[in-house]
Amino acid sequence: MTEALLEARDLTKYYPVTKGLLQRTIGWVRAIDGVSFSVEQGKTLSLVGESGAGKTTTARAVLLLEKLTSGLLFFEGKDIYQFSPSQLKALYRPRVQAVQQNPWSSMNPRMRVRDIVGEPLAVNTKQTKKQIRDRVEQLLAQVGLRPDHAESYPHEFSGGQRQRIAVARALALNPSLVVLDEPVSALDVSIRAQIMNLLKDLQVQNNLSYLVIAHNLATVRYMAHTVAIMYLGQIVEYGQAEELFQQPLHPYTRALISASLLILPEDEEKGKQQIILTGEMPSPLNPPSGCRFHTRCAEAQEECSKVIPEIKVIGTHWVKCLHYN
Amino acid sequence: MSEIVLRVENLRTSFFTRRGEVKAVDGVSFYVRESETFGLVGESACGKSVTALSILRLLPEPAGRIIGGKVILEGINLLDISKKAMRAFRGKKVSMILQDPMTSLNPVYTIGDQIAESVRLHQGLPDNMVQPEVISALRLLRIPAPEMRLRDYPFQLSGGMRQRVVGAIAMSCHPRLLIADEPTTALDATIQAQYIALFQEVQKKTQVAIIFITHDFGVVGKMCHRVGVMYAGKIVETAPTRVLFQAPRHPYTIALINSVPRLDRKDERLYSIEGQPPSLMNLPPGCRFFPRCSVSETVCREQEPPEVKVGDEHLVSCWKVK
Repeated sequence: MTEALLEARDLTKYYPVTKGLLQRTIGWVRAIDGVSFSVEQGKTLSLVGESGAGKTTTARAVLLLEKLTSGLLFFEGKDIYQFSPSQLKALYRPRVQAVQQNPWSSMNPRMRVRDIVGEPLAVNTKQTKKQIRDRVEQLLAQVGLRPDHAESYPHEFSGGQRQRIAVARALALNPSLVVLDEPVSALDVSIRAQIMNLLKDLQVQNNLSYLVIAHNLATVRYMAHTVAIMYLGQIVEYGQAEELFQQPLHPYTRALISASLLILPEDEEKGKQQIILTGEMPSPLNPPSGCRFHTRCAEAQEECSKVIPEIKVIGTHWVKCLHYN
Repeated sequence: MSEIVLRVENLRTSFFTRRGEVKAVDGVSFYVRESETFGLVGESACGKSVTALSILRLLPEPAGRIIGGKVILEGINLLDISKKAMRAFRGKKVSMILQDPMTSLNPVYTIGDQIAESVRLHQGLPDNMVQPEVISALRLLRIPAPEMRLRDYPFQLSGGMRQRVVGAIAMSCHPRLLIADEPTTALDATIQAQYIALFQEVQKKTQVAIIFITHDFGVVGKMCHRVGVMYAGKIVETAPTRVLFQAPRHPYTIALINSVPRLDRKDERLYSIEGQPPSLMNLPPGCRFFPRCSVSETVCREQEPPEVKVGDEHLVSCWKVK
C-alpha cells in the first residue's frame, strides 16, 4: 500500500444555532461528527451521500475553509494544524487545490481565461509574466483547450469548456491533491464523460490524488479507487470501490445502490424489487440516538436505537452497523 | 391497447430574437396513451421543455411562437382554440410539474390554499366541497397527516414533501395528461426513488398519461414505458424503454447510453461524444448530429434523414438505419 498523502482523523464540525438578541447558543448542528479517511498518492477517494450528509463540510475542512471543532489533518505525515500561517502558505495551500461544482459561478466573469488560470501563479510564485503566459498555454493544452482561448472571457465558453478552465486553474501550481466538489453534476450527459475521462488522464499523467465529492454513485464507481459513504455527518461504510459496490455491507449503501441502478420496466416484475427507503434524513441538529440510520433502516431492531455501532473492519473495508458480523 | 390521450404532430416552435430565428422545436411528433408514461430525454437546449411549454401554450411571448403542427387532446387541436378556452384545459385536463418545487410554490400561502386555488378555479366547487378535494389530493400523493399539513407553508416542508405538494396541485383536478419537467432532478437519490414509486402508484389509480422530461437515463428506465430521444430540436429515436436500452439504433442514442457510467459494472473508459450540440440558429443542412457522428457519410451532411420504422413502435431518423 502506498503512503497516505492526506489523512483525516476524527474531523468534527459543529455549527452553533443561536437565538435572540444576545445570540445565545441553543444547540449545535452536527455537520460532521468524527469523520476519518485517507487519500493515497495518485488515487481517488470519493465521499458519497445525499444533501446534508456533510460531504461539502468535509471538503471545506480539507481546504482549510472551515475551522474544525476538533480533529486532525495530516499531510504527508505532518500535522498541518501545527503549521504556522506562512508554513501553510508555503507547504499546504498551493499543493491542495479545488474545482467547484458550478463552472458558471466559480470564475470571475470580468477576467480573461489567461488571468483566471494564471492567478494562482501570480499570487503564489515569483514567475515573470512571460513564464506565466507560457505556463497558462501549457495548462490549456493539457485540458484540451487552444492557446488562443486564453484571450477569451468565461461567458464565451460552454459548460464543459468552463469546467476545463477550472481544472486548468486548479493544476496551475502543480498540486498533489485536488478537491473536486461535484465536478460533473452541473454538466450535460455527453459532456460529463469528456470531463471524467480528462480528470482520469490528468491523474495518471501528474500522479494526482483526488478527493471527489459526489452524489451520483455511477460517477463514483467510474472515478474512485476508495469510497466513503456518508450519512448524517458520519461515514457509515468505507472501502475499496470494487469491493464496496460488489458487496455493500451497510443497509444504507445497499439502498443507495438500489436507488441508482438502472432498472428496466420489466425487471421489476421479475422480482428485482428495489429497496425504497421510507422517510427522510433526520435533522443534524438532533440526530437519532444509537445508529443514526435506524429511523429509516428496514433491518433496524430495538438495539439499533440504543447502541452506537462500532466500526467493524473486514480487511480494507469497514462498516458501522450493529447487524454486520 | 389503451386510448391515445395526446397526439403531437409535426410541432414547430421558434424564438425570434434580434439575432435571428432559433428553431427550438423543429418537427416533433409523438403520442401518449392512457396510463402510459412517455419520456422525453435529451441534453440541455434540445427542446424538451419548449415542447412541454408549447403543448400548454405557455411560451414566453412575443419571442416564442408556435409556427406549425398540431397538439390534439380529446379530439381538439389545442393550437386552434382561443386563449380563454385554453385556460379551461390547463390545470383541468393537462397539468404540469416543474423541476424546482421551491420556485413553483408561493412562499406566502399555505399549501392548503395553493391546492384549493386550483380546485376552486378549475372545478368550480362550492366552498364547503373544496377542503375534502384538497385533502384527497394530499392523500393521493401520500402526504402524511393531510389535515394538519394543509396549514403548513412551503418552507416548513422538506424538498421531497414540497415536490409531493406540487404533484398534489397538479393532480387535484384529475387531469388526463400530466407533464412533468425534470420533477426528480432536484431531489436526493433515495427521495427520488420514493417519488418515482409514488408516481407509478398515482398513475395506476388515476390512469393519467404522463410526459416525463428528463436528462437522466436511470430515471427513464424506472419511470417510462416509451421514450423519445431529442437532439437539437428533433426526436431522433422513439422506442419502448426496454428496446431503447437493449437495442438502440440511432448513433446519438447509442453514444449517449455508452457515455453514462454504469453502477452495475466497472467501466475502464467511458465513450465520450466529442464536440457540442449545434447552435439552433445556424443548423447544419443535413442530419443535426452529423458533425459529432462517428458513422456519418456524405448523404448525412446534405439531406435530413427520414424517419424509418424499424420495429414495433420503434422509429429512427438516421440514414444509416435501414
